[in-house]
Amino acid sequence: MKRRSFLKKIPIAASAPIMLNGMPISLAAANSQINRLAMSSENDRVIVLIQLHGGNDGLNTLIPVEQYSDYVEWRANIAIPPIDSSARRKAIALDNTLPIQEQVGLHPDMIGVKELYDRGKAAIIHSVGHPNMNGSHFRSRDIWYMGGDYDDQLGSGWAGRYLQNQFPTYPEGLPDAMMPDPPALEIGRSVNLLFHTGQGIPIGIAINNPGQFFDLVNSVGGEPPESIINSYYGQELLWIMGIEEKSNQYAGRLKEVYDNGSNSGVIYPEKYPFVTNSAVRNPLTSQLRMIARLLDGGIKTKIFLAKIGGFDTHADQVVDYDRTMGHHAALLYHISSAVKSFQDDLRQLGLEDRVLTMTFSEFGRRVSSNGSYGTDHGKAAPMFVFGKGVNAGVFGSNPDISPEAMNRARFNIPFELGNSSGGVDRIGTDYRSVFKAALKEWMEAPEDAIADSLFNEVPDLEKPLIGGTITSVDNTFFENRFRLNHAYPNPANDEVTLSYYINNVGHVKLSILTAAGKLIRDVVDERQGFGLHEIKVDISDLPTGAYLYRLETSSNKATKKLIKTK
Amino acid sequence: MASLAQYNGVLDRRKAAHLLRRATFGPTKEEIDQFTGLSVAQAVNTLYEEQLAPEAPIDPNTGQTWVEAPIPEERPEGHMSMVLGWWMDQMKNSGANIRERMVYFYHTHFTTKNDKVTDSVAIYYQNALFRQFAVGNFKEICRRICLDNAMTIFLDGKSNIKGRPNENFGREFLELYTIGKGPQVGEDDYTTYTELDVQEAARVLSGYQEDRTYANIDLETELPTINFRGNGIIAGQHDATPKTFSERFNNAVIAPPVEEMQGDNTTIEGALDELDQLVEMIFAQDETARYICRRLYRFFVYYEITEEVEQDVIEPLAQTFRDNNYELQPVLTQLLSSEHFFDTDNATEVDDNHGAIIKSPLELVIGSMRYFRVELPDPASELPAFYDAYRSILRSLNDQGLDLYNPFEVAGYPAYHQAPSFNRNWISANFLALRYLFIDNLMSNPEDGFVLDIIDFVRDPANNFQPAEATNLVQALVEYLFPEIITQERFDYFIDTFLDVPNSPELSPAEIQALRDQEVINWGLDWNTFINTNDDTGIRTSLENLVNVLLQTPEYQLF
Repeated sequence: MKRRSFLKKIPIAASAPIMLNGMPISLAAANSQINRLAMSSENDRVIVLIQLHGGNDGLNTLIPVEQYSDYVEWRANIAIPPIDSSARRKAIALDNTLPIQEQVGLHPDMIGVKELYDRGKAAIIHSVGHPNMNGSHFRSRDIWYMGGDYDDQLGSGWAGRYLQNQFPTYPEGLPDAMMPDPPALEIGRSVNLLFHTGQGIPIGIAINNPGQFFDLVNSVGGEPPESIINSYYGQELLWIMGIEEKSNQYAGRLKEVYDNGSNSGVIYPEKYPFVTNSAVRNPLTSQLRMIARLLDGGIKTKIFLAKIGGFDTHADQVVDYDRTMGHHAALLYHISSAVKSFQDDLRQLGLEDRVLTMTFSEFGRRVSSNGSYGTDHGKAAPMFVFGKGVNAGVFGSNPDISPEAMNRARFNIPFELGNSSGGVDRIGTDYRSVFKAALKEWMEAPEDAIADSLFNEVPDLEKPLIGGTITSVDNTFFENRFRLNHAYPNPANDEVTLSYYINNVGHVKLSILTAAGKLIRDVVDERQGFGLHEIKVDISDLPTGAYLYRLETSSNKATKKLIKTK
Repeated sequence: MASLAQYNGVLDRRKAAHLLRRATFGPTKEEIDQFTGLSVAQAVNTLYEEQLAPEAPIDPNTGQTWVEAPIPEERPEGHMSMVLGWWMDQMKNSGANIRERMVYFYHTHFTTKNDKVTDSVAIYYQNALFRQFAVGNFKEICRRICLDNAMTIFLDGKSNIKGRPNENFGREFLELYTIGKGPQVGEDDYTTYTELDVQEAARVLSGYQEDRTYANIDLETELPTINFRGNGIIAGQHDATPKTFSERFNNAVIAPPVEEMQGDNTTIEGALDELDQLVEMIFAQDETARYICRRLYRFFVYYEITEEVEQDVIEPLAQTFRDNNYELQPVLTQLLSSEHFFDTDNATEVDDNHGAIIKSPLELVIGSMRYFRVELPDPASELPAFYDAYRSILRSLNDQGLDLYNPFEVAGYPAYHQAPSFNRNWISANFLALRYLFIDNLMSNPEDGFVLDIIDFVRDPANNFQPAEATNLVQALVEYLFPEIITQERFDYFIDTFLDVPNSPELSPAEIQALRDQEVINWGLDWNTFINTNDDTGIRTSLENLVNVLLQTPEYQLF
């Protein structure tokens, strides 16, 4: 194997006048990097983006409960049975505390999302898009990646520009001791427009497996040329050399971090557990597991990108004999179950406070289904945001799919609609507002970094994206949805009333335990519905002393103390 | 100013190599030498010399081809890779000819993914269509691609029926294949067409379905074509109501001719007539010729289209295209013969396109195999091994980022459309390292089914090398393999790696030069020893090091 010139600098890159790539390192920029590093050492948070490739059908992901009859009208051949259906597989009621017109049903294969939601670790943002959404996959993806408007043609991505602002000496000045890792990491084989900076090579690299990558990079190649002619040819050489240099620099470090890290032992889903002809294997599992392990190993990368394909469901989105099954169901299961495992893994690794995970797709799909059990390209669609730091809940409103609305919006969930006075009403949430909130509130990006991301002009979200259990003691989201009340009376002698509130349908267990936690008996052990439940418990047989009572549902647990007196 | 005027000088070696690299799948040294000294007209005409249509691929299990009388629903797994292997073999054997380049161009343009089509026969006939129209009429192939089985399978033609349109194909036909998507200037308005036009185009294209028996033959091309749903006379699932397009197409209305209507339905003839109307309507727009010329420019010249190139190259080229009723050959001739192509239209070197495109993995792999005359198992006597060799090439291409006939995007391989990076998308940390690994394996991995014997290559009289002269040998290789000249420093690095010249910072440049001179002399002695004894142990490793150090470079990734 040939010896490589590690950390070899390309002299031409820093000084050549033709250098389109790479920006000159001014003193100001260097100073600014020092300032930022002081700041960024306090903020060790990261964003994990999950791209849903092909255009996800938002309306079978989140089913508007109150408009169910319209929903079935538009898409009878693919409609998910309603929450109150007697079918075994049907929409999952997300949150009973929401106003009736805002109630949503999750696709039946999104149990993991429901559990995260119930724990206050998930936010759902309705009808995300941008003005003048278009039907082209690659143009739409470019817009989401570049962070621009519908008519922008940018050679860079919003994450690339943000990271370039945070690490202005990249590529020449990095890696260094403060930032030994690529600022962005894409799981895959090539780097997306998202991480392009417009000035040179992308500010991230793409890998599938750190160990294999290291071995490969160290077994091939040679020395790069040392002088470059001033021509198109020279520019392409510089591009290749820049990428080669970065892969040499980062390969060893990524392997080291990966080897130092481990996963917690949480089981990640490998396959869709039901019958499907396609999308059997969960493509997110290996990606998210690797990200968790790299984080555990100490990687300092700020933004990760994972991807799942197959959402372009023009045909056979569902199987003809069961509308809840098929290709799209498997995909939603993959996202929901993999993200749930990822979140559990992060919690056990002690990393939960540091990671915000967001899903997005280039567009949603048509409200009306087509004749081939599928849907054509649509417009706005929901995004999901996960993490302990998220301000859990629902952002925005259910889309209006009434016949009048659909006539105006040509059977799309619109981002905006013309109004009677000739103007335009914004109905959905601008995707840039969501990413902006993530940068501003989660990454605590300074104003100029927000400006570089090009998000400074877009409106803020209706409420903070970040909040929840990390940054605030206010735990009302959780308590409004899952709560074990104080026993009454307490102390009690013969009989005590126990009450609790739950926000999902499922198996519930309420138990009396000794003060040491040993089970005495279960007083509730059955499937129950939403809402407040109350039970009178006879405790006349118990000796006086201290006891515990414990409530358990599929997603949550709570325990309180009970005193028995004479 | 950029100029499409014909370059009037004779081709020197650099220009001859440039033309051959761009217009073929990579020249041999001999071909470059043959083109050197020709006039540009002579050279370009040579590229069009008619070649016979290749024989269909043979299944080694039966000794016959399976594409001529395919059995519906029976598609052995290995057949797809056989078709792709067969296709790559056409590229490898294509010589100094443009035909297979154009077949590949069409594939990058009219994307089809075999993992959706899953039918080797459909892919084979699509490929045959591309070959038949290689330098033919672009408008004609656009019409025929609508009636192509693989395309119809890929873009859900079968589920596009009256009353329940599936827009998949209609959208891509406008956005990717013909007029292209312009800047969005309003809701659902993309300058060149609107969302309404997508919906109307989908209705024009409704009622088609693939014919997996491949028994329905287009009498002009003699290639299989799709069927219409219905009774063989009536296109029963074709939406026969009039389609009204937007003001982008001057509110054109497309409907079947009255005499082809039967009640609410039209005949197959009526549906085909609508397709003709659609194609005519799109090609009546000036933008269509521009869009296709930009695609050709990016493929053959350079990916960035400046304002100047748009005005001075694309616009007149598009005019040539229109004036010749969308025949490709006049356009290709004008472009490949031009002063702009050879960078003689201005004095500055900055915008020189020589060597300014990053090779696709296919150009790297097939080009290397062609230059080094790497032999594969003989299909006549070792057919299974022949296919296996191409399967290993397919795997390597995939590792390098080109999943042949299976691009990730409906829009095709990102290198041909994804602004701003275009062909730079071929290079990522992984892809680049795996390109280098391919070169390594080319000489060291006989289990792939082929191996470059570098000693045979440097001794091959067709190459006319002087292998005993180390400097001479490296010089000859560099001149033919790299698109641009290199510095003395770079040259020395190649020599030093080849001959294992010690290179320590302790040594002065003069000392290193002395050692280098000595090693050059030693090489000559070693070579003569090899000639006398046939013992190649020492020299083989050195030559392999030379090929590795030359080809595992950024320079070799460019053409």
